[in-house]
Amino acid sequence: MPPQEEYSTGSRSFWSWLATSKVYQSVSASLLGTKKRRLVLLAAVPIIWAIVANLGPLFKMLDISFYDAYPLSKGREATYTIAAWREFFVTPVYYIPFFRTLIFSGILTFATLVLVYPVAYFLARHVPKSRQMLFLLLVLIPFWVGEIIRTYAIMILLGNNGAINIALKFLGIIDRPIPFMYTSFSLGIGIVYLVSLYMLLPLYSALEKIPTNMNEAAADLGAGPWRRFWRITLPLSKDGIASGCVLVFLIATGFYATPVILGGPSSTMFAESIANTFNVAADRWPTGAAFSSIMLITTLTLAAVFLKIMGRRGKGYL
Amino acid sequence: MLNSKISRRQILKTGVAATTALAAPAIFSPAYAASGTVNVWTYANFLPDSFKEEFQKDTGIQIRERLVDDQGKEFNLLAAEAGQPTADIVTIAGHRFRQFIDSELIAPLDIGRLSNWSRVNKVYSEADWTIVDGKKWGVPILAGAEVMAYNTDIVTPEEARSWDILFGEKYAGQTAYILQDIMSIVMLYLGYDGNMIGYDEAKAAEAVAAAKAFLIERKPRVRKYYDAGAEFQQMLINQDIVVGHAWSGPVSKLIMDGFPAAMTIPKEGSYGFVYNYNVVNNGPNADNAYILLDALLAHPEIGANMTKASGFISTFEGSAEFLSDIEKAAASFTQEELDALQFFRADNNKLKYDLVDPAVEEIKAA
Repeated sequence: MPPQEEYSTGSRSFWSWLATSKVYQSVSASLLGTKKRRLVLLAAVPIIWAIVANLGPLFKMLDISFYDAYPLSKGREATYTIAAWREFFVTPVYYIPFFRTLIFSGILTFATLVLVYPVAYFLARHVPKSRQMLFLLLVLIPFWVGEIIRTYAIMILLGNNGAINIALKFLGIIDRPIPFMYTSFSLGIGIVYLVSLYMLLPLYSALEKIPTNMNEAAADLGAGPWRRFWRITLPLSKDGIASGCVLVFLIATGFYATPVILGGPSSTMFAESIANTFNVAADRWPTGAAFSSIMLITTLTLAAVFLKIMGRRGKGYL
Repeated sequence: MLNSKISRRQILKTGVAATTALAAPAIFSPAYAASGTVNVWTYANFLPDSFKEEFQKDTGIQIRERLVDDQGKEFNLLAAEAGQPTADIVTIAGHRFRQFIDSELIAPLDIGRLSNWSRVNKVYSEADWTIVDGKKWGVPILAGAEVMAYNTDIVTPEEARSWDILFGEKYAGQTAYILQDIMSIVMLYLGYDGNMIGYDEAKAAEAVAAAKAFLIERKPRVRKYYDAGAEFQQMLINQDIVVGHAWSGPVSKLIMDGFPAAMTIPKEGSYGFVYNYNVVNNGPNADNAYILLDALLAHPEIGANMTKASGFISTFEGSAEFLSDIEKAAASFTQEELDALQFFRADNNKLKYDLVDPAVEEIKAA
C-alpha cells in the first residue's frame, strides 16, 4: 500500500495508481485475461447462488420429507420412509384445507384478472406513452412496502372500527359494524390486493405490444368496440393473461401470513396446516416437508395444464 | 460468443473461490459466540429495556435478544441446531420442561452460581414442577393464567363468571380463542381433567373427542382462532371481539394502559403456567447466561418492571411493592378466582398432545 499522499492528493488518483500497479495488472490478467475467463468468473457466483439459495432448500425439503423424524433428538439417526407422504393421503382431515386452497386461489386468480385487466388496458392503450411510466410508478407505490404492512392496512380498512365501517356509520347506512374481518371476504380482498401487481405487469406488457393499427384496420372494416376487443385485443393479450394467472395462482397458494392475519375459522389454508407441523414441539418436520412437496407438485402441474390449455406451454414469461 | 473450451481446472478454481466467498461468514468467528455477549430467546417485553441498558453498561456484555412467540417453534429451532445452539438462555413454561430435557436441549440449573436465587418467591422456587429427574431446571420469572377477558363496556362481570358466554349465542361472532389452549379448558368445562393425570389412552381419547365435538359444533359462533397475545389485544381494541380466551399478560397490559377490559378465571376453572429462563445445554456463553440471570434477580424492582412491560405476574419477592394500585389490580386475581386455578402439568403431555394436535387440525378443517 503506498503512502496516502501518493494517490489521494495532487494529480494522481487512487484509481490511476491502481491501474498501473503491477500486482493489480498481474491479478487482472490471470482472472480476466481472456473472454472465457471473464465469462466463467461472471457466471460462477450467480450459478452457485441459484443452486444454493433456490434449489438447495427445495432439495433439502424433499430429502427431509422422506425421514422418519426431524429435527432429530441427540443420538438418534433418521431412517428413510414414505410415511410422511402417506399421512396426507390417509388423513382426510387435510383434504379440506388442501382443496380449499386450490379452489380459493383459482377464484382469486380469476377475480384479480377481471379487476386488473381494465387498469392494465387503460394504462397501455389510453395513457400517452410519455406518461405511462409515471402512471405505472403511481400504481406501484403500495408495493414498495412489505406484505405484512399491506395486510395490516387491509385490517385497518375492514375492521369493526375500520375506515369502511366508520364511513358507512357516518352516512347512516348501518348502525352496527359489518363484520368484514376474519372471513373469506377479508382474506380474498387481502390476497387480490397483494397479488395484483403480479397480474398487472404481464398484462400491461402484453397489451402495450399490440399494434394500434390492427384495431384501426378492424374499425375500418366495420367492427365495433366489443368485437374489436373480443377478436383482437383479448387474443393478442393471451400471453399476458397466461403469465399473470400462473404467477398469481402460484403465489396465492403459498400465502401464509395473510390467511393467518385476515382469515377466519372457516378459511384455514393449507399453508397454515403445513406451518402447524413445524410449530408443534415435536419431530414432525417430515410431514410438513411432504405436504409442502405435494402442494408444490400439484400447483406446478395445474399451472402446466393451464399453460397447455392457453397454448403457451414452454413459451412466455415463465 | 465463447469459442474456446473452459478447462476443468478453471472451473474448479472458480468454484473454490466462489464457495470460499459464500462460506466466509461461517469461517469467521460467529458473533453469537463472542465473549461479551449473551443470546436470549424470549417473548416480546419480557426483558425490560431499562434492565437491558443497565446490564450492558455495568457488565459490558451485550444482550442479543431473539423474540419467540411459541415454545413449539422454540423447541424446533433449538433441536435443529443439533447440539451446537446459538442460544444461551431460552424461555420455557414449567409444564414444557420435559420435552426440552428429554432432547438434552437445556442444562440443569446450578443454583450455586446464582447469589440472588433466594429472591425468587418460594411458591415458585420450591414448587415441585421445578424439579425433574431430581434436578432443578430454570429460573421462574413470570407467572400467568389462561383467562377469560372481556370488554367492560359491553360484557358484565356477572356474565363473565362462566365460560358459558364464550360458547353461547349472545356474543356469537364476537369471540376468539387459542385453539390449542382452549382444548384443555373445554375438557375442564365438560368435566374432564385437561392435564389428563392418571388417564389411560381410552379415557384421554374420550376427553379429546368430547372437546373436539363441542368446539366443532360451536365453530360458527367464534370470530377468530388466534395465536399471539398481540392479536388478541388488537381484536379487543378494534371491537372485532368483545370476549375471548387469552393469556393473562396481554390482557393485564391492556388494563394497565387504560383500555376498558377485565379478566377473570371463570367458576369452571382454568390453568396457570410459569415462564422460566433456562440455561441452554452447550450454549456458547454459559458464564454470561448465569451473570444475566443473577442480575435479573438482583432487585425486586426489575421484576416489577417485567410485570409492567409484559403484563404477567413477577415471581420475585417484593416486586409488588414497586407496582401502582392499578398495575397491581391489573395483574392479580381474587381468592375465589385463584381457587379455581390449577397449574398445567407435564405428566401426561405425550399422550395428551398426540391426541390434541390432530384434533386441532380437524377443528380447523371442519
